[in-house]
This record gives sequence, C-alpha cells and structure tokens, in this order.
Amino acid sequence: MAGSVATDTLDRLIHERLRLGIVSALAAEVELSFGDLKQVLRTTDGNLSVHARKLEEAGYIKVTKAFAGRRPRTMYRLTAKGRRSLEIYLQQMETILTETREALERT
Amino acid sequence: MTIPTQHDQQHAHENLAFIRQMMESASTFTAVSGWGMIAVGVVGLIAATLAWSLAVPADLRVWLPAALVAITIAAGATAVKARSQQVPLWTGAFHKMAWVMTPTLVAGALLTFALTQQGTTVLLPGMWLAMYGAGVTAGGSFSVRAMRWMGVVFLALGAVALFRPDLGLALLGAGFGGLHIAVGVDLVWRHGG
Repeated sequence: MAGSVATDTLDRLIHERLRLGIVSALAAEVELSFGDLKQVLRTTDGNLSVHARKLEEAGYIKVTKAFAGRRPRTMYRLTAKGRRSLEIYLQQMETILTETREALERT
Repeated sequence: MTIPTQHDQQHAHENLAFIRQMMESASTFTAVSGWGMIAVGVVGLIAATLAWSLAVPADLRVWLPAALVAITIAAGATAVKARSQQVPLWTGAFHKMAWVMTPTLVAGALLTFALTQQGTTVLLPGMWLAMYGAGVTAGGSFSVRAMRWMGVVFLALGAVALFRPDLGLALLGAGFGGLHIAVGVDLVWRHGG
C-alpha cells in the first residue's frame, strides 16, 4: 500500500508553511511581538496577519494587544492546544521517516 | 502496512528541518542579553570618564582594555542567557550575525592602528563609533529591531564625531555608555533579561 496513514491525518492548519513557522517560532519563545515574528519568518505584514488570525481562531495561539508608550503592540503566545498540535505534527513526521526506514530495511 | 511515498519522506525531512530552523531563529533572535548590554554600557561610561580624567579622548590604554572587558561581558552574558533559556548558542542565526559583524570590527581595529601610527588619533572616536555602528546595523538584521536601531544611532554619532572631533569623547560616552545602557534596559523589559 502506497502512502503513509500519518500523511492522511496531518493537521492541515499547521501543515501550511507559514503557519507551521509561526507555531514553531512561538514554541521556542514564551512570547514574540508582531515585528519580531515578522522578522523571524521573513514575511510581510499582510501575510503574517492573515495566517496568525487563522491560528488564533483555531485556539492555537493567543494574541494580546497592548500599548508600549503611545505605540500599539501586538504580542503572540502559543496556547496549550497549539503546543499539543505541534507535538502531534512532529510525531507524524517522525512516523513517516520511521516507516520509510523500516521499508528500506525490509527490501 | 503502509509505505510512505518518496514525496512524503522528502516532505517530512524538509518540515522537520524547517521547524528546527524556526525554533532556533526565534530563540537566538532574542538571545542577546539585556543585562550584559547594560554592563557593557557601564564599562563604556567608566572608560569615557577615565579618558576624560587623562585628557586624551581616544587613549588606547583606556579603550583597548575596556573593549576586551566589554566583549568578554557580552559573550558571557549571552551564553548565560542562552543556557537559562535552554537554547543552543551557536546556531545558524548567531553564525550569520558573527560573520557579518566581524569584518567591520576587524577593519575598525586595523584603522585604529594605522591612524595611531600616522598620529591622527583625533579621528579615532568618530571612526570607532561609525565602524561599530556599521557592524551592529548589519548583524542586527538577525536580531531584535532595537539592535538595528542601535547600530544606526552609533553610525549617526560616528558621523558627527568625524566632523566635530572636539565632541569625540562626549559622543563616545553617549554611545558606548548611554546608548548601550538604554538598549540593554529595552531588551530586559521586552525580552526578559
């Protein structure tokens, strides 16, 4: 049978490259600002806003808006649900590689 | 039993590498130590005060040891912060930062010795500020925004000091002392230490 079961059950929300980047970056830091995240991901304001909103709507990240002096500041943080989804995604990637290794050993 | 396709396998490899790269970039991005930067600023202020008391703005007997102490403090504080956050220190982002900053700083050191030999030490404060600013501006593209702005302000201070050498010592104190402390406080406040 061709194709891995792990591939079929992937979380499509974080399978998208930029959203995967947002979740991964936030897994490494407690909190990142919009500007910092934009620089880490090397993307545009519009792109980051759109994909961050999707993750926020799914409950994967938490967005807080505050003021630093007079300037508005948007901060992003990974939720427990988002962290769990990334862990599952990582396990699925590892499963694919393990299945490949086992298939190679059998041949 | 399932067998992943070659595409699945390649995709899994790429995704794992991407996740790792993003996690490393995010962690090294804020790994510059704010407390270390404040300590470097204090060293800068002490050096400026000493140079002022000796009445020689660009006195190498003061500024060379100060630079060595500052580099040691900055490296040590960054390593401590990286360890406390359990992130690897020598990652891709740090590697790039070091590579883009080092040539400018080496050029600054060479110019220091060349200008000293020629007896034109009056230009040293402006050159130090400008070269350090150029290096930090370039290296700052792999770090938080405050680092890049610090580099730009150092460049501006250097430009003023090159054309107004009489202000050299005051600008050295403002840059290597005051500016480092201000950015260090910002890093501590925004990025936790």
